[in-house]
Amino acid sequence: MLRAVKLLGCLAGTAMLGVVGTAVAAEPGLTDTTIKIGLFGPMSGPSQAYGQDVMNAAKMYYDKINAEGGINGRKIEVVEEDDRCSPNDLVAAVKKLVEQDQVFILNGGSCSAPVVAAKDYVVRSGVPWVMLNASGDGALYPPQPNIFGALSISQRAVGGSTVEFASKYLGAKKLGYINHDDAYGAWNLEAAGPQAKENGATFLVESVDPKITDVTAPVLKMKAANVDALILTTYAGPAQLILKKAQELHFDKPIIVAVNAIANLKQMVDNVGSKDAFKNVYIQELLMAKPGSEKLGWVYDMYKKAYPDLAAQPGHPQVYMPYGIPPAEVVVKALQAAGRDVTRAKFIDAVEHLNFSSVMAGPIVFTHTEHAAQKASIYFKYDGENLTEVPGVFASRWTYKAD
Amino acid sequence: MDLEVVWLFVQQGVASGLVSGAVYALLALAIVIVYRTTDVANFAQGEIYMAASYLAFFLIVVFAAPILLAIPLTILIVCGGAAVFQRLVLARVASVRGVSVNLVIATLGLSYFLKGMVRFSGFGDAPRSFPSVVPDGALTIGDASLSYLDIVIFVTSLVVMALFFWMFTFTKTGRAMRAVGMNRRAAALVGISLTRVQMQVWACSGGISAIAALLIAPKLLLTVEMGHVATLAFAAAIVGGFTSLPGAVVGGFIIGIAENLVGLFVSSRAIVVTPFVVIMLVLILKPQGLFGGAVRVRKV
Repeated sequence: MLRAVKLLGCLAGTAMLGVVGTAVAAEPGLTDTTIKIGLFGPMSGPSQAYGQDVMNAAKMYYDKINAEGGINGRKIEVVEEDDRCSPNDLVAAVKKLVEQDQVFILNGGSCSAPVVAAKDYVVRSGVPWVMLNASGDGALYPPQPNIFGALSISQRAVGGSTVEFASKYLGAKKLGYINHDDAYGAWNLEAAGPQAKENGATFLVESVDPKITDVTAPVLKMKAANVDALILTTYAGPAQLILKKAQELHFDKPIIVAVNAIANLKQMVDNVGSKDAFKNVYIQELLMAKPGSEKLGWVYDMYKKAYPDLAAQPGHPQVYMPYGIPPAEVVVKALQAAGRDVTRAKFIDAVEHLNFSSVMAGPIVFTHTEHAAQKASIYFKYDGENLTEVPGVFASRWTYKAD
Repeated sequence: MDLEVVWLFVQQGVASGLVSGAVYALLALAIVIVYRTTDVANFAQGEIYMAASYLAFFLIVVFAAPILLAIPLTILIVCGGAAVFQRLVLARVASVRGVSVNLVIATLGLSYFLKGMVRFSGFGDAPRSFPSVVPDGALTIGDASLSYLDIVIFVTSLVVMALFFWMFTFTKTGRAMRAVGMNRRAAALVGISLTRVQMQVWACSGGISAIAALLIAPKLLLTVEMGHVATLAFAAAIVGGFTSLPGAVVGGFIIGIAENLVGLFVSSRAIVVTPFVVIMLVLILKPQGLFGGAVRVRKV
């Protein structure tokens, strides 16, 4: 009899543990004391500069939160993966983080094409994904229930912002616009064209192959059309060739170089070959102030403290380092708002209600229908040596409209 | 579009097209001489051109070599490297008869090897500029504007082409190359060393690619992918007739000018498809290419 009672007791205890265990295991990546986050980006390969220090910045922010006591009693545990900015590697990294490491949420991606490749899998998995600094338009539009990003800026917002700056600050009535003839270029054009129309500006577009070597035709056409300003939303190579050709053809109107073109301004001047080519050049910037400036000092100080050896090396912190802060802030703020009984659904709901100021030029705003956060840029006049800040913040007005 | 703009576009399109066409023509020449004498379509031509640019850049930046030393040194190293590749790899592959596709695969292997080497060097991650010995400034010809560098590129290309044709026509080495190109067995029977001539041809091809690279590098940016310009050189060679040396040169200029005029009068977006439209037109109207000679009909 006693044995039977003991057996029943054991069974009941096991059943209760099972129920408790099920409750905890219902949300993978969560324990009573930890929240597991899958962090990924290019830690190696030719695109390393787009992500390595961005990931470092996110990690140092999570470390700061942990040092301050964590979130609702839990510490953040980061699992890192290298996606090399390659679609195959990124998809493999995401699958490993979701299926093997069982992370609670994903936080990663620094390059557009690879993040687009992971979109379908992440949507099917239902795991919330906060992108790092990838513009990721192809994954963000049409809006997906569990994908959030554009924490640097979306390509649509790049297009709208540059047009806003050219129209409002430079007073340009006839705008020239050179973009790529790929999806990347099509995305920024999608917002730029309508914003130019709304601003009452004439809009002349030349789309070029990203590997173009002779840019005579697009530049000469802009000169012949007598545009008031020329906007470049191209990668580094074509942008530098265009600046060089504009000087050769005596194109003397303002040229706005969008942030997606250049990572290293000194290298850009070296490549163009002459400071004279920068007499009338403006540079788009996504941060709230000049990188390394007083306003952003706390980010750079935190980096030096977190990575003293790396900070001592030339080239570090890399240009995009501060871009890692807003994604980490989104994760932390949403987890805090979701409370101790956080679930993935509650986390997603919390992200959709975020609206805060970060290190970026404009506010980080999400809504139920808009999962791309950053819409605005600041601009600098660049003479080939010095950056002079132009007053104001210039935002894109483009919004997604379902067909 | 008013007439003034049309006339400006024509002048600038032709002038700029001649400059870029000169580089395509040099590379097309390098492709054609290799094809004529060794029956190999060299798919590593663009990467040889790319590697030559990086080699010169490497000599100047890492070894602080003066540019006037780096240029001849680069040409010599690339000539030697191409000849060694022919001797060590292609000659062995060619010795296995009946698998000529292996030769093409070997050149593709070389292209990946060269790209890998540049990436491994750490210089291939960001676009870089190559120093120019030509001063800044531009010359206006009619309404067209050409930089001093453009003019140096065009004139030097013409001089290199002229020297090459002179060598091919008047020197013993050049005549031996032509003989091998016409009939390899007959050339061997009269005592021409096929091994030596084929190495010389690859060396010449490498040298021409290096010159093209050094000419255009200060104008463009150094990237690991810059070798894709060889696609345009292949287009030039096909338009010219693939086995014709003058055809390669004319084809280069046609592609260069067509790209610019289409970009100006049609769309910048159409630039990339222009060479292939030109190829289709030429192949429809003259299937053997502009200088490919009469179509030979073989009867069994």
